[in-house]
Amino acid sequence: MADFSIMKTHEFLVTPLGLELIGRAEPDDATGGASISRSAKSVQMALNRNRNRNRNRNRNRNRNRNRNRSDIGAGPDWGILEPWEERAKLYELRAEWMDLPLPLPPSLPELREHATELLKKQALLSLPQYAGRRGEIRIEAELELSRYLRPYGIESHGGYDATIGLILVTMALTDEIGLYFKDRWNVPRPNQVEPRLRPYLAAPAHASYPSNHAFQSFAVAFVMSRLLPEHPGSVQLFLSARRIAENREWAGVHYACDTGAGHKLARMILPVLEKVLEKNMLAAQAEWF
Amino acid sequence: MKPYSIRRKQDALWHLVATGILTSTHQPDDWSVDEIVKPARVAMIDTSVAMDHPNLCGAINRSRAFDLFSTRLGAFPGLSGQDSIGAQGWGDAQALVAGLPGCKALLQALTARLAPDQSPHHGTIQPAASPVFSAHGTAIAGLIGARPARVAYATSHIDGPPDGTLPLPYCGADPTCEIVPISTSFDPDPEQMILAFLYADLVEADVIVLPRGIDDPFRSEPQLHAIDWLGQPLGELVTPASVPDRDRELWSELAELIIKISHRRPVICAAGNAHEEYGIYPANLASDDNGVISVGALNAKGWPCSYSPEAGLTVWAPSSDAEQFDSGEVRLDPERLKETDLGVPDENDNHKYSDFGVIATDVPGRGGYSASDFDTAEPVDGIREYGSYFCDFGGTSAACAIVAGFMALGRGLGRIPAPADGIAAKAWLLSQSRPVRADLPNVIVPHLGGGVFQPADP
Repeated sequence: MADFSIMKTHEFLVTPLGLELIGRAEPDDATGGASISRSAKSVQMALNRNRNRNRNRNRNRNRNRNRNRSDIGAGPDWGILEPWEERAKLYELRAEWMDLPLPLPPSLPELREHATELLKKQALLSLPQYAGRRGEIRIEAELELSRYLRPYGIESHGGYDATIGLILVTMALTDEIGLYFKDRWNVPRPNQVEPRLRPYLAAPAHASYPSNHAFQSFAVAFVMSRLLPEHPGSVQLFLSARRIAENREWAGVHYACDTGAGHKLARMILPVLEKVLEKNMLAAQAEWF
Repeated sequence: MKPYSIRRKQDALWHLVATGILTSTHQPDDWSVDEIVKPARVAMIDTSVAMDHPNLCGAINRSRAFDLFSTRLGAFPGLSGQDSIGAQGWGDAQALVAGLPGCKALLQALTARLAPDQSPHHGTIQPAASPVFSAHGTAIAGLIGARPARVAYATSHIDGPPDGTLPLPYCGADPTCEIVPISTSFDPDPEQMILAFLYADLVEADVIVLPRGIDDPFRSEPQLHAIDWLGQPLGELVTPASVPDRDRELWSELAELIIKISHRRPVICAAGNAHEEYGIYPANLASDDNGVISVGALNAKGWPCSYSPEAGLTVWAPSSDAEQFDSGEVRLDPERLKETDLGVPDENDNHKYSDFGVIATDVPGRGGYSASDFDTAEPVDGIREYGSYFCDFGGTSAACAIVAGFMALGRGLGRIPAPADGIAAKAWLLSQSRPVRADLPNVIVPHLGGGVFQPADP
């Protein structure tokens, strides 16, 4: 139950420098108020404004520091050093993620049914009104960061290096994890099951289930959902991830079940990623709070 | 020797004094802890919470804390290391799901998952409840039900009282309630939110608080679905990803479920932080015939915060203000105006701006909104600073958390009778709410005892 005697002897005041703990009592008070009376014990508290509105506008005003657009570049220059430390931590915690309960992949007859849905998408994709989706598929064949940065409005602004770095490290680690799970079941790609499928992109040489595009994209979305839950971009990032994953179905290189498995795996592995990437996430968070 | 100190200071608990919960000396205002009939239970659907925060550890119901972020049918982060969840005495939600087949199936699955012999975690999946990334939930929990606390401190860092404990004189609106955190992600997934609301009902919460929106593809921006464009609703045309038929049904059922639950227990929702017309979803479900409570934000001067929605809200409560500089309103910080007043029209609302923040609990140490300068984990033998344990919070999230604590206190004190349903509880809240200004009769603010909100910013 609440002990209001503490409130009788002490109070917090907010100053421009932070929170100040004040003893209400006179210096000879026996409760201990004396030793901290009228002295500010900490100015650690940054006066943050947590509000999921117009955050970017304010951030950009304050955070451009000495950077300009060319410091980060329009895309090709984005990159990270090999994340050896994070990989080491990931394998230190291997017991926590190698046996996550991803459902068994569908059987071959079921996959053939799924492939029929992809044939329908293939037929639609050739229509003129799907030119936009074709363009997206081509762009997303390689790592393309704008889909992840645009929801937060940081696609073309400096000052978010740690956030971008976090996304890249998440991508790198989940790429490797995804390959591990793919290898377990070795599910054939859709065009191996349904020869009438003509994938819009070359099917990668590794197995189909789960979709790494889905897994990686949703993993970024779940990480950012922990980091910035109140930012409207965090919801949009999930939708963006789903679009990227579904585009791989439209391209004929993944079944819908691969997308679903990528989403499930990303959700389940988040608590592990949170441990592995704690430093990276904290550095990224500092760019927003 | 008395050190020089900063003259400009604000009471960190002004929001509780202004709403009649505490006196100016931070004592219960015409109520007492001894009068609590039964501590109220608040189900908080938000992010995870830093459960070990010294001001929160007495408030959080660890055995019922539930995480839906990483585990589909939920996990118990507070029971890690136990073999089973044990008999917890769940309520009966069957009547809620009548006519809602999707919810009924999910309730069945959830009920099976909550059997006493079930493991706290689902297989190898861990809950996503690291305190480090629990800032939002920690702030909300503190505004609702933090307790004053004493905590051991490191003498090498703090010159504190001789008994070795530092007082942390902070509390929430109801420092006697218990909080059941139900943590969720922001994945727009109707199933997750249905399970969260069902669980809130199963724990028989006296109050449910939702300091967030729900991104229902059809109800978040309903006007887009009313626009016919190229033969389709515009909302359907612009959706980035397909919405499966099952999810369409579940989104509809969720909206019905929230209203049904609100008839049993009040559902307190943040109204939004961007002047949304009638508030965000599901705050915009609030109406006279249900128990959904939509909460707007009011600054320390007693003006609606610049960002707060206005139409269709139930009540307003204290929060931090923000600047606005557009055709809707010009409300700027006087500090900025000292630097430049370029473009500021003569007719403006600058006098309405308040720089008073609402102080909430924060993740101790490295994480949270106000991170510690120390780059290492918090020491177990005593804190090195207390600044990182609190933060300046805001938005209608803060306002709805204060209202949730206010209602919990009303329930705990028996002022809301125990059998009262959501609508009766809402009626009590309205009976305690008064306009702050004669020219804004609809902007009503709760005040315990039925007084009038007292502006803290002169």
